[in-house]
Amino acid sequence: MTPAAPLVTLGLVDAAFSGFRAYAGRDARIRKRAAIVRSALRGLAVGAVLLLAPAVTAGTVLLTADDPALAYAALAAGGAGYLRPLAVYATTVVLSLAAYFVLPFRVSTLAMVVGLGPLTLLRPLAIVAACLGALLNGGGFTSLLVGSVAGGAVLCVEPIVHRRWYASVVH
Amino acid sequence: MIRQLEEHGDHRAARIVASLPTGRDDVLDPHAVDRLLVGVHTELQRLSEELRIGERLVHLLGPLLAAVRAAATPARPLRLVDVGCGLGYLIRWLAATHALGPDVELIGVDLDAALVGEAARLARAEGLHCRFVHGNAFDLPEAATVYVSTGVLHHFRGPALAEFFRAQASSPALAFCHYDIAATRLAPVGAWAFHRARMRHPLGRHDGVVSALRAHSDEALLRAAAAPGIRPLLYEPRGMSNPFCTTLRPVLGIRPHLEAPLRRALGRASRRLVGPEQLAEVVR
Ligand SMILES: C[S@@+](CC[C@H](N)C(=O)[O-])C[C@H]1O[C@@H](n2cnc3c(N)ncnc32)[C@H](O)[C@@H]1O
Repeated sequence: MTPAAPLVTLGLVDAAFSGFRAYAGRDARIRKRAAIVRSALRGLAVGAVLLLAPAVTAGTVLLTADDPALAYAALAAGGAGYLRPLAVYATTVVLSLAAYFVLPFRVSTLAMVVGLGPLTLLRPLAIVAACLGALLNGGGFTSLLVGSVAGGAVLCVEPIVHRRWYASVVH
Repeated sequence: MIRQLEEHGDHRAARIVASLPTGRDDVLDPHAVDRLLVGVHTELQRLSEELRIGERLVHLLGPLLAAVRAAATPARPLRLVDVGCGLGYLIRWLAATHALGPDVELIGVDLDAALVGEAARLARAEGLHCRFVHGNAFDLPEAATVYVSTGVLHHFRGPALAEFFRAQASSPALAFCHYDIAATRLAPVGAWAFHRARMRHPLGRHDGVVSALRAHSDEALLRAAAAPGIRPLLYEPRGMSNPFCTTLRPVLGIRPHLEAPLRRALGRASRRLVGPEQLAEVVR
């Protein structure tokens, strides 16, 4: 199985969360479920467009390769290596989120203060770890290239959504 | 103002102020300042939401109001006044969730007119039953059954802290319950990381760390809250709570006859409620 499907899924889910973060802190109402869903969909839409960049990069690599089969194998190996640190990161996020939503307020504060808050700050590091994973797994320069473009794309979703829709307080 | 901040050695704050728009005569543009304050407080509300401040408060305020209802026949409706309410998140959340019951009137007071105006607008927009009043914590315009606040005490320095509690103790109020940042060694580091992750404007980020540095110790709070006719208590003091689970904890002042019913209403959680005499033991 190629790692493409889980990577794309992770990228899109991350984009939805980025959309939410771009909105969070801009709306002081109490009831705002619809606005939260809208922000996640905006993130998803922007993410879907931005994730075309790594897809196109990977396509170009394959089309211009002397030996497409070899290039494909390198990208697949790199993708698998890229996925591993991200899977660890995503699992930590999911566990923190579950603790945050399910457990009483004291433990949920813990999940926020030592889990979700710092995990947001660690996003760029998770991408760096993923790129290293791609290299270490034998993905070579082409995987590093695709991985960096993908990482850049994913990190751009939040600022773009924020600037486009949430530059000032929502009324 | 910039010179004053520089003289205090707060260069970061000076830089933030210097970056704000000014009108003629180098005076800060008041509309820009209002907009900035509303913006930063909107970001601040996200922290209250994520740390579930409303639930944390109800956990203690529910039993406190039960004790008030049980102990006497106080004037109805009971009235909760949030001092330094900012955008009034707590009051509006309580109004939206009806968490304290229908016999509790909800009022927010703040010194900043722009914040009070925005709080009232937000409440109207969502049809919430609560009010917001412009006023000073040291000359409170609204009588209350219980005064509360979140994240305000660290603003009051020196004798002002005791004066703040004394004003409420000498009012007809039956109790006060003021939450502020737990003064631990971790607080400034935690505040730095959390504000960096969750707030965008440098003002909010800087204020978060400075506030944690200025947080009053458990002992200082209990000492200041010991006003005539008041039993000072602290909930979840240092040494009795995990600093990662309790980022804000309250100092209470209650009329002495309310202590027994409050402890009964709290049940097992009443272990976490200590007076000055027990605090010495906890810390030891
Ligand atoms: C850090 S903010 C906390 C706001 C809100 N309680 C919250 O938890 O988000 C402190 C608030 O206290 C208000 N404040 C400071 N001094 C005050 C005073 N003397 N009287 C009334 N409000 C005051 C400020 O205007 C500000 O809105």
